[in-house]
Amino acid sequence: MPSLTRPSRQTDFARFSSSTPIVIDNGSSTFRIGWAGEAEPRVSFRNVVQRPRHRSTGETVSIVGDTDPPLMKFFDCTRSALRSPFDDDVVYQFEYMEYILDYAFDRLGATSEVGHPILMTECECNPSFSRARMAELLFETYGVPSIAFGVDNAFSYKYNQKLGNCGEDGLVVSCEHGTCHVVPFLKGQPVLGACCRTNVGGFHVTDFLRQLLSLKYPYHTASITWEKAEELKKEHCYVALDYMSELHTFKNNKEEAEEKTRYWQLPWIPPPKEELPSEEELARKAALKEKAGQRLREMAAQKRSQKIAGLEEKISSLEELLEQLDEADEDEAAAILGRSGYLSPQEIKSDILKCTQALRKAKGESNGNEDKSDVSGADKYPLLSVPDETLTPEQLKEKKKQQFLKTTTEGKMRAKQKRAEEEALKEKQEEQRRAENPELYLEELRARYSELSEKFEQRKRQKVGGSHTNGNHSSSGGVGRGERLNAAQKERMRLLTSAAFDRGKGEDTFGARDEDWLVYNKMSKDNDDDGNDDDESELVRIASKLKEIDPTFVSKSEVIQLTPEAPKYRPLTAEDYKISIGIERFRCPEVLFQPGMIGIDQAGIDEMVSISLRRLMEDESVKERLCQSILVTGGSSLFPGMIPRLESGIRQFRPYLAPLKLVRAADPILDAWRGAAAFAASSKFGKQTFTLADYREHGENLFHRYNIVYTL
Amino acid sequence: MEPEVMKAEMVLAPTLPFKKVQTADKYPKGQSRGRQWKHLRYLLQAADASTMPPDQPNYLNIQSPPSIYPPKRYCDITGFEAPYVDPRTKLRYTDPEVFKQIRMLPDEYVQRYLALRNAAVVLR
Repeated sequence: MPSLTRPSRQTDFARFSSSTPIVIDNGSSTFRIGWAGEAEPRVSFRNVVQRPRHRSTGETVSIVGDTDPPLMKFFDCTRSALRSPFDDDVVYQFEYMEYILDYAFDRLGATSEVGHPILMTECECNPSFSRARMAELLFETYGVPSIAFGVDNAFSYKYNQKLGNCGEDGLVVSCEHGTCHVVPFLKGQPVLGACCRTNVGGFHVTDFLRQLLSLKYPYHTASITWEKAEELKKEHCYVALDYMSELHTFKNNKEEAEEKTRYWQLPWIPPPKEELPSEEELARKAALKEKAGQRLREMAAQKRSQKIAGLEEKISSLEELLEQLDEADEDEAAAILGRSGYLSPQEIKSDILKCTQALRKAKGESNGNEDKSDVSGADKYPLLSVPDETLTPEQLKEKKKQQFLKTTTEGKMRAKQKRAEEEALKEKQEEQRRAENPELYLEELRARYSELSEKFEQRKRQKVGGSHTNGNHSSSGGVGRGERLNAAQKERMRLLTSAAFDRGKGEDTFGARDEDWLVYNKMSKDNDDDGNDDDESELVRIASKLKEIDPTFVSKSEVIQLTPEAPKYRPLTAEDYKISIGIERFRCPEVLFQPGMIGIDQAGIDEMVSISLRRLMEDESVKERLCQSILVTGGSSLFPGMIPRLESGIRQFRPYLAPLKLVRAADPILDAWRGAAAFAASSKFGKQTFTLADYREHGENLFHRYNIVYTL
Repeated sequence: MEPEVMKAEMVLAPTLPFKKVQTADKYPKGQSRGRQWKHLRYLLQAADASTMPPDQPNYLNIQSPPSIYPPKRYCDITGFEAPYVDPRTKLRYTDPEVFKQIRMLPDEYVQRYLALRNAAVVLR
């Protein structure tokens, strides 16, 4: 209901004399306040409070009534839901009531004090504690001189009686926000002893609709707010004349059902079409990339030159230190060493060596890769060419290392070369075979591929741990610990547990045979796929080859990868954002007639009439007269089809051919306030009120038998 | 406060000239008030039942009794007439298709459907 604007402050409060009563229709959905004798309430707003935290100042504030959604961004509403002072139709939270009254009097334009008598509506048989606390609040906080409480449905009935819609004796059927009431009237006075209340109302209809829709469309729960449901209810819901036959229609007659279904399209933005980037875009991106790369390269070069400079500096300083040491005598040398932090000149020398090596490495990198590859053996292994006699023991060690390195790398190189030669030979042979008989070759290749892939699959399955073989386990739904492990892991678990539990059993012969130690190999974690690598690379090679020569070839692994991802890619369409309201249109208002549908074990509004008539201790002629003047009022009576359905419902409880007349109130929503305003404007209104002095004298007892006389 | 908020007069002023007792005095800031109010049920039990004579109308005794008709059973999912009840989830359903749907429902949704007619299992 965002269309409902916030009421502005009235300016003519001071114009009214202090004897003019203020009339308040305190309905559980809407609060209306205005002046006695006027035709319309001055201010009306939704009877709710929320107390969010203001984001920038951090203080808790009170907001009454409906709010403007765009303005709510300034408030943190996470911990404040909309709160109503009502439970069903009784005011029971007077803190919230106070905020609402504050707002109401403020909007009415009160400036110094609320010095007017007040007529406030309440529900039928309002509990006296509620009346007492309301009176207390009005007297003590607002300084109201006198108060009268009256039943809203009675005011509505009186107002319509004046309009000629109903007679002196009659019935009110009222479907309100939180409850439904049936009240009989005799000689213009409500007979409260015979009235009847069911705790189902418009609120329940809306809530039922909201919950049904959010269960039906779980993805759109956030869009289906209470306010939206209320709007949908007001716009689309109707009461079925015969609920069962309407259900039947919806179930069996698809066309008619489709005709009666309404759709609510949620805002949906089609996903943007992926356009290929233009040439310019590509060029720009490439340039950007190039620029970034350039910068990175520059940074790296700078860093390297810095490193080189640092190292050179260090070497020179160390050399200087060595020179100093050479020149100095023993005592001075010790002092110099102590200062520099080295223990001996040898240490300094080794440090210099390390630094020179690092320097060479850094410089070698800066020279680029090409000359690194053809660094001759002499350059790479400088010590090998130097005769042993000239070397220090440390350098000797280094020389041995270099020799070892040299032989191994050479061996590796030779092996690599050999392998490459073999491969080339094989390739050549294959090529030859292919040239000789392409058909046969293709056939062979295919066979080899399928064989290999089969093998690969099998291994994979083994690794997953036989969940394919015993399918009955997976169908039962439970995936136990064992089923999640693959075969190798299972074996490992078994070994570990047996190792843990075997301890101390018999003689320990572990290690007597060499094979025993293999257990550790199995236990260690990373012994998965080592043999697979060869097969896998072969498989990939064959697949690529097949792809080259066979246009019909599709790799198995590709097929497998594609299938499980397919359902993810269905793009969302506008259809997914459409909320259909079919059966809900009449299913939700039906709760007024069958409260059992939402688990409330009470009679529906049609049956309530008969209950009320039964409670009325009058003879049949009076009841017949009442039934000829039934007034239907309250906000929920605005559903299309309400009156005919109510009539047929009531007829079921009445004698055959008993006269029945139902009238909808002139304005089911505002009539109560109008009736109350007319009542308060009467000169005898003053006799119906009570003052603070009365309340002080009698206390809560004042309200036990408090009933105003509606006929003035 | 932002100018838009001030202009819309959304927020209730902390002090109002027509009040004898200001809200801040009645409900002092910073004091945890806890749950001062009680549910209507308890209030009614505490107040009316004992002091009101039973022959007088009061809030409790004007309630309407249960319907004289046996309650009709409707499908919890579709709203159609439901001749069957699923023994596992206790949901009512109208035909095998809905039954399949019910069996696919996660438990949370089953409970929410049951809660619609006040039949959910409430753990206290």
